[in-house]
Amino acid sequence: MKFSKETKEQFIECAKSKGIYLEGNILKMIDSSDDGEFDKYIKSAIEKDTETRKKRLEMTKQVQEQNLELTKWKNENEKINEELKVALETTEKAKEVALNDLDLLQKKTQYQLIESIVKVSLWIVSGVGIVTTLMFALTLIIGVDNKIIESAWSNMFGILLTNSFSIIGTIMGVKYASENKDRKHKKKKECSCECHDE
Amino acid sequence: MIESILLVDDENLFHLVFEDACSLLDISLNVKSLNSADDAERYFKELLRTGDPKPECIFVDLNIIGSSFDGIEFIRKINFDYGDGVVIGIISSSNDKGEQAKALKAGAQFWIIKSDEIEPRLEEFKKDFEGYKNRKNLFKIYK
Repeated sequence: MKFSKETKEQFIECAKSKGIYLEGNILKMIDSSDDGEFDKYIKSAIEKDTETRKKRLEMTKQVQEQNLELTKWKNENEKINEELKVALETTEKAKEVALNDLDLLQKKTQYQLIESIVKVSLWIVSGVGIVTTLMFALTLIIGVDNKIIESAWSNMFGILLTNSFSIIGTIMGVKYASENKDRKHKKKKECSCECHDE
Repeated sequence: MIESILLVDDENLFHLVFEDACSLLDISLNVKSLNSADDAERYFKELLRTGDPKPECIFVDLNIIGSSFDGIEFIRKINFDYGDGVVIGIISSSNDKGEQAKALKAGAQFWIIKSDEIEPRLEEFKKDFEGYKNRKNLFKIYK
């Protein structure tokens, strides 16, 4: 590619007055061998263009590297987030299991306590009943005055009967109350699950 | 110097790196970059329709995100559907032997491994280019 003398002069003048040079691959297509001054101009233009390209290449490589790093970081973050999510889910499940176990343990203790109370009560009830009956029977056999023991015996049985029903009632009440509590707890859980789903 | 080069790669930053490297190393003054295999196929169809000259050499990325087919399929299309006579190969960060074998089967002539220092590989490729053009060189991997 060759230019006229006038055009070459214009290019050189532009470079001298404004510091603006031709740029890009077109420079490698220009034949400047027949004009010393223009050849010098083309060489310095190529030099400047090469410098600019080198700088741009370096910067582009840096940006590319940073991009790669960022992508790696992003991937790592996503992976960590996923792991955290799984860990959180596992913890939630473990917490739920622990709470259930605790609840079960509390119930077991409660039932054991009730069982002990019932046993002791039954022993006392049976003991008092047997002792009073024996005493009443003895008075009947011996033939002594048993007016007091008779009334005490009938009162005792009345009281024991009433108390027995009271104990049974209490036990049934406790059982019913704990069952209701369970149901409410389960319902609450189901409700919260549905709310999460929504 | 290679008359004209077509680069097909989804990474726009690499277009700049490749274009600058080609200019600095005097590999080619005419580099066209496209970021999808579909665009490249459309470009080739247009060249066939208008009768304009095809690029002398094509560099294709292996996995081109956002394309309906990969680099190997593109090579196969260029070699079998759009006529032979173009030096074509893969430029990728992958060094998978299986993929390299597939590329060779599809008609790839070279495989350049993309890394931070692409210039030495491109310089080596420049030296070998005539051999690829004359179909004398065998498939080569530039590591």
